[in-house]
Amino acid sequence: MRARVWFRVGTLAVQSTVGLALVSGSMTASAQEVVAIRGGTVLPISGPPIAGGTVLIREGKIAAVGADVSVPGGARVIDATGKYVMPGIVDAMTSLGVSASDLNDAADPITPEQRIIESYYPYGEFGHGGLAPLRNREALSGGVTTMYVAPADAALIGGQGAVVKTAGSDLAKVTVLEPAAMDMTLGTPPKEAARGRERDPYTRMASMAMLRQELIRAQEYQRRRAESPEAPRDLGMEALGLVLDRNIPVRLQATSATDIRAALRLSEEFGFDLILDGANAAWEFRDELVDRRIPVVLGQVSHPYVSNEEIPNTEDYPPVDESTPARLTEAGVETAIASFSRAFGTLAPAGTGKWLLIDASIALGYGMTEQQVLRALTLIPARIMRIDARVGSLDVGKDADVIILDGPPLSVRTWVERVWVDGVEVFVREGVGS
Amino acid sequence: MRLVATSVTALALLAADLSGQADVIAVRGGTVHTATGPAIENGTVLIRDGRVAAVGAQVSIPADARVLDAAGKTVIPGMIDNHSHIGARTTDLNDRPMLIGPQHRFLDALDPDDEAFADAVEGGVTTIVTGPGSGENVSGMAIVMKTFGEDLGARILLEHGGMKFAMGAKGGQRYPTTTMGVAANLRQYLIRTQEYVASWRRWEEGGREGPPPARDLGYESMAEVLDGRTYVRAHVHSATDVATLIRLKDEFGFDLTLHHSTEAYKLAPELAERGITAVVLPLGDRIGLSEDAMEGPYILWRNGVKIAMHTDAPVISQKWLRLCAAIAMRYGIPEDEALKTVTINAAEIARVDDRVGSLEVGKDGDVVVFDGPWYEPSSRVDWVIGDGRVVFDRSEAGRGDGR
Repeated sequence: MRARVWFRVGTLAVQSTVGLALVSGSMTASAQEVVAIRGGTVLPISGPPIAGGTVLIREGKIAAVGADVSVPGGARVIDATGKYVMPGIVDAMTSLGVSASDLNDAADPITPEQRIIESYYPYGEFGHGGLAPLRNREALSGGVTTMYVAPADAALIGGQGAVVKTAGSDLAKVTVLEPAAMDMTLGTPPKEAARGRERDPYTRMASMAMLRQELIRAQEYQRRRAESPEAPRDLGMEALGLVLDRNIPVRLQATSATDIRAALRLSEEFGFDLILDGANAAWEFRDELVDRRIPVVLGQVSHPYVSNEEIPNTEDYPPVDESTPARLTEAGVETAIASFSRAFGTLAPAGTGKWLLIDASIALGYGMTEQQVLRALTLIPARIMRIDARVGSLDVGKDADVIILDGPPLSVRTWVERVWVDGVEVFVREGVGS
Repeated sequence: MRLVATSVTALALLAADLSGQADVIAVRGGTVHTATGPAIENGTVLIRDGRVAAVGAQVSIPADARVLDAAGKTVIPGMIDNHSHIGARTTDLNDRPMLIGPQHRFLDALDPDDEAFADAVEGGVTTIVTGPGSGENVSGMAIVMKTFGEDLGARILLEHGGMKFAMGAKGGQRYPTTTMGVAANLRQYLIRTQEYVASWRRWEEGGREGPPPARDLGYESMAEVLDGRTYVRAHVHSATDVATLIRLKDEFGFDLTLHHSTEAYKLAPELAERGITAVVLPLGDRIGLSEDAMEGPYILWRNGVKIAMHTDAPVISQKWLRLCAAIAMRYGIPEDEALKTVTINAAEIARVDDRVGSLEVGKDGDVVVFDGPWYEPSSRVDWVIGDGRVVFDRSEAGRGDGR
């Protein structure tokens, strides 16, 4: 896997393979603290559960995990007896932390040059208050410690998404990977947005033609720049160049079978790495997905409609089948479950990360094992987003993103009690002593 | 002769096969939550001729009963979703040009073959209130119906199942565009209804002399609200609008249920005092409410306000009604009280508790059997019995597992 981080310095796009430590940056004072979480059922995700295990956190990283871990003197010891300890949830699709008006450019359906990180607000509020103040505490209260932040789906090419931690206000430190992917959408959302403004694309044909034309332009741009380095630069073309060079994947939201088929065709034509988002109809394409190693990020099990319509349009959103994550997983498709949190201060749909564990526990009744469900919320999304060197499991050397639950993780009665991000305790549930 | 007899027998067998149903069903050996009494361990629910015939730990099972073995399972009444919009095309839910349209009847838009009903049944929801949307300040009359069955007449419990109000300015640029304008507009309409009723009474009491007053369907429908034949189901989020509704109720004396009720908890004592009920969020896990608001149902319950859950389907699938109650449990509502919010409370608020909402002798034979606790998302519905017939059997259902 590519442990590669993308930085943009000034106006120059710089591809750097600097160490990941750069992004996690310096530790705060409390991150220096050594913490031993002892006595709980440890679910490392990368391996089998450890009864009465210990997780040792040092300098913001996992220092040890096991049944026989010696706890250094001076360590802060947390008694997790009777509780469950697991890695923080990785929510592979949100648009949290971004003002609604900043999610898509109203003037243009194709904006590959735009980077969500430049709209991202890490300082605590996820929306505009009102009836639904989606505070980042909400994500933490569901145990989400890492999330993908994307432009919304009203554009064909919305721009470049980022992976961030859900705690911390220093943008440089909370950023895990940026740009992490290029976000694109097929199907209804860009069509509806365009129709509202009487511009293209009105149809799926137009959507595909426009995407294809844009990618061809990017190919031509690359050739032109290679031939004459003094040719004028174009940020959008450079960003699509990252896609064509397979430095970043395309995250393509495709909800209906028609859109999935189109997405597969497009990625084959242009040779980019594809991640299918919200592809609840992916079952039909399982063989191709397995062959081509194309992963899928599904929406919530109870409500897999990933767009922001209050009442989903049944033409584009196939009937709910709660066994989809189980069957895709069983077929060998790398399948993550994400919240697709996209409400911004209104009562619009917003399954925030707070509900990911509870929602995903539905999949247990439809044939997934506990281990499979938990992987779909942690290690698999981390792998899909190419950040599994840092997050997604309790393994020595990974970021100390750890959560303690007061009961089995897949029960509606269970609460997240404590959350550490990069070794800093950032959430303690009310009523839980420290 | 012999041939004929054989055919008759064959036909009889065929008929029995087609219905596939015994007249008597015994759900045996489960943990029975009746919604009105304490849980019964190793209990049996006996259903005869479509109705609950016996419930208890010591129920003798007739020899001809079809026995469903519920050992280790959870048995609850068929659930009731007090607020949804299924059974109609979404384009039929709101008539926006008519901001006050009490004459609209959901029944006139009903498509009983809507596939969403199957989702409801699969999730153990056997009775629903379904009605017009919230695009107008008064959008029309809801209905109460069963989610299963061929005979539409038998499916409908109440044709006049509550008058939908929706607070908030709805008209875009048209009057009223303010919160106070909406209140004034509603008040004016209710006063006109009073005057309309009075004009008819004068005509009746005057010996029906002269031509009768002109009939107006809107005022006629709203008159049902004023004289208590039906009640107000008011979509409301903000505490300001909750206060307005309380004032309107005090002025006009109608029965009132708040719907969505996002900030109703802020006026919980005022609601309890007046017997105003509340159909509440959370809508499963789909709505991004703050923790304060998530605690709302618990605060209402603690203050003695009768509450029920709703899915607002198709906003969330009706299948997950129980998840709404389960999530409310997390904030402090005890298990059996949470169950009431999707059974007996929902039935009482919908005015159909004489028929449904609990496992009591004489009520409709609507029963759900889960393979685990009803509130755990990971539990599955094994059987749904509706009006005494098995209307969902997971072992025979083609959906879900391994399709």
